Amino acid sequence: MSLYDLMHSLTADSMRSVGGFEGELVLCATIVLILLLRIPRLTSRIDSFYVMLVGSAVALYMAGPWHPVEQPSQLFTGLLINDTFTVYFRTLLLFFAVLFAIFTRISGVPDRDAAPDVYALVLGATLGMCIMASANNALMIFLGVEMASVPSYALAGLLKGRRQSSEAAIKYAVYGAGTAGIMLYGISLLCGVLGSAHIPTMGVRLAELLQPANLEAGVGLDTHMVLALGGLMVMVGLAFKLSAVPFHFWCPDVFEGASAEVNAFLSVASKAAALALLARVAIGFGYIAPPIETQAEEQVALFNVADEPAQQPETKEQEAKPPAEEEEVLLVEEPSGSAAAFSPLADRAEQIAALAPARDYLAWVLAFMAMITCTFGNLAAYGQTNIKRLLAYSTIAQAGYMMMPVPAAMVLAGSNPAAAQGAIQAMVFYAGAYLFMNLGAFAIVAFLRNVLLSEEIEDYAGLIRRAPITVICFSLILVSLIGIPPLAGFVGKFQIFSALVQAKLWIVLLVAGLNTAISLYYYLRVVKTMTIDPEPETRRPVSMSFIPGTYVVLVSVPLLILGIWPESLNALARMATGQLF
Amino acid sequence: MNLLTEPIGVSHYLIVGAIMFVTGALCMATKRNALGVLMGIELVLNGANVNFVAFGSEYLRPGAVSMGLDGQLIALFVIVLAAAEAAVALAIVLNFYNNHSSVDVDKADELKG
Repeated sequence: MSLYDLMHSLTADSMRSVGGFEGELVLCATIVLILLLRIPRLTSRIDSFYVMLVGSAVALYMAGPWHPVEQPSQLFTGLLINDTFTVYFRTLLLFFAVLFAIFTRISGVPDRDAAPDVYALVLGATLGMCIMASANNALMIFLGVEMASVPSYALAGLLKGRRQSSEAAIKYAVYGAGTAGIMLYGISLLCGVLGSAHIPTMGVRLAELLQPANLEAGVGLDTHMVLALGGLMVMVGLAFKLSAVPFHFWCPDVFEGASAEVNAFLSVASKAAALALLARVAIGFGYIAPPIETQAEEQVALFNVADEPAQQPETKEQEAKPPAEEEEVLLVEEPSGSAAAFSPLADRAEQIAALAPARDYLAWVLAFMAMITCTFGNLAAYGQTNIKRLLAYSTIAQAGYMMMPVPAAMVLAGSNPAAAQGAIQAMVFYAGAYLFMNLGAFAIVAFLRNVLLSEEIEDYAGLIRRAPITVICFSLILVSLIGIPPLAGFVGKFQIFSALVQAKLWIVLLVAGLNTAISLYYYLRVVKTMTIDPEPETRRPVSMSFIPGTYVVLVSVPLLILGIWPESLNALARMATGQLF
Repeated sequence: MNLLTEPIGVSHYLIVGAIMFVTGALCMATKRNALGVLMGIELVLNGANVNFVAFGSEYLRPGAVSMGLDGQLIALFVIVLAAAEAAVALAIVLNFYNNHSSVDVDKADELKG
């Protein structure tokens, strides 16, 4: 292929791909605009809030579900994938960016000086999260995680001159960079053994490696350990983003040290993107998605130069060689049968069947992690006196619940793809409901901080007499986080539990049920403090003004609506998972 | 199989990468100075980079499936990201120093519970 042909097909592919990438491009343009506007004296007076609001709203319009995606398509030579799952999470993230902009405007953090920096960082992190949700290549997994994390480190240290804030930032940065490094090493092992960075190709290679004929003959067994180790290392990075035990240490400290606005961003957007990435990775390595029918096949192979076309003849040549010569040519550690281990499988059904060991492995690791995360988060939330810290542990526990459908999907994927889709759908629904729950909770914490100048739970005592609407909304949110009908949290949790029943993961179901009972205590303790306890004598008069109150109501009412009529979000969730299996 | 007598192949590179990874991980776990921890992170990232470049080479592993140019490209992206991450992390360390007059990570113990 000549350079001209190469350039020509790359240009054509890029032009074709831009259509599915408009939302992210608008985000990029907004970031550049926000940063440039502060330089000339005339434009530096423009409030960057409006730029942020308009930018994210336009991006939301460009990327929203009203542009139907009939067929999944690979963008940019297979680096990203644009399917309904991507569209759902991108919509969620951009919708959150719009709500977040309004929230920061009302709460007054960041101030006018810091606003351009903060909005640029938030949009940059959102861009990274969109990439996480649409990653189709191991490089994009790492790039997305880093693009989402690095701005978050800076956001955690947003409050200037505060000891706690700088401590939160350094803890976040050190843990985050460390786990990202470990994840990258794991990715390098996986890619190296499977000989590709393109996730669907890696899935097919894995199926070829794990096919029954190989397992019986003992071919490629030495690579299984490397693959298991690599998979575990990738899981480290994902667990950090999800704040799953044992990589949760940063979460309570960062949440206590950073401002409530940043907490809302970290607990909603970051978690949704991490969940999407977790589902993508699990499905990529445990299942073979239906082939994508586009004219892009040729371009996809282009990025993996000399990969697809050259591999087959090479393999045959290898087999044909006399063994004596082979030993000379092949180098250490690579056993002579390694290339032959990747003999192609007949069809997709056979590939999916061959991936059963990978699914078992993923299901066990994830189920174990989800159970520990859930239990630890709920138990540690007991003794907390700071509301932000309490919500941080609640975030950890919720991450545990939200991870549970993924092992269920892994168990079901081999025999019953429709049920596996239902499991992922439960996760997707819960992520949508979770947006309103945690955004509302942290918005209330921020607004109350502005009037009470405190984030301690005991200072909320008897608040219902001063700010009844806020307290009622906060109680709604907390009750929804427990999962009591008729709120959205109940519907989400019910779907997750029913996915666990279908997958016959009884132990996980038992742990999740027990945890729900445990979590009753500490959520309701906050409600009790706000409603029943007497007001402290020393508190200065408190009143919530109109605009924050309206915002809080607008964010918490959807919980009630989605709890009573879940079908609207359910339909979106069904659409989102329709192209995965 | 004696690595010392074999011609240079992918496993030699993998061993270098593994040594860098382990050194970096140890550095992250044991150093009390925040800058030392950041250096450990750089070592881990570059250990992974060595792996990527080695796995990407067609000549080090003839006959086996290789990542082709992907390996080199990923290494380039990782170098850029490592620089960005180091810039942000150093700024955060400086901010920490301004507030605590120290870059000792053990001093970051006010938030707990």
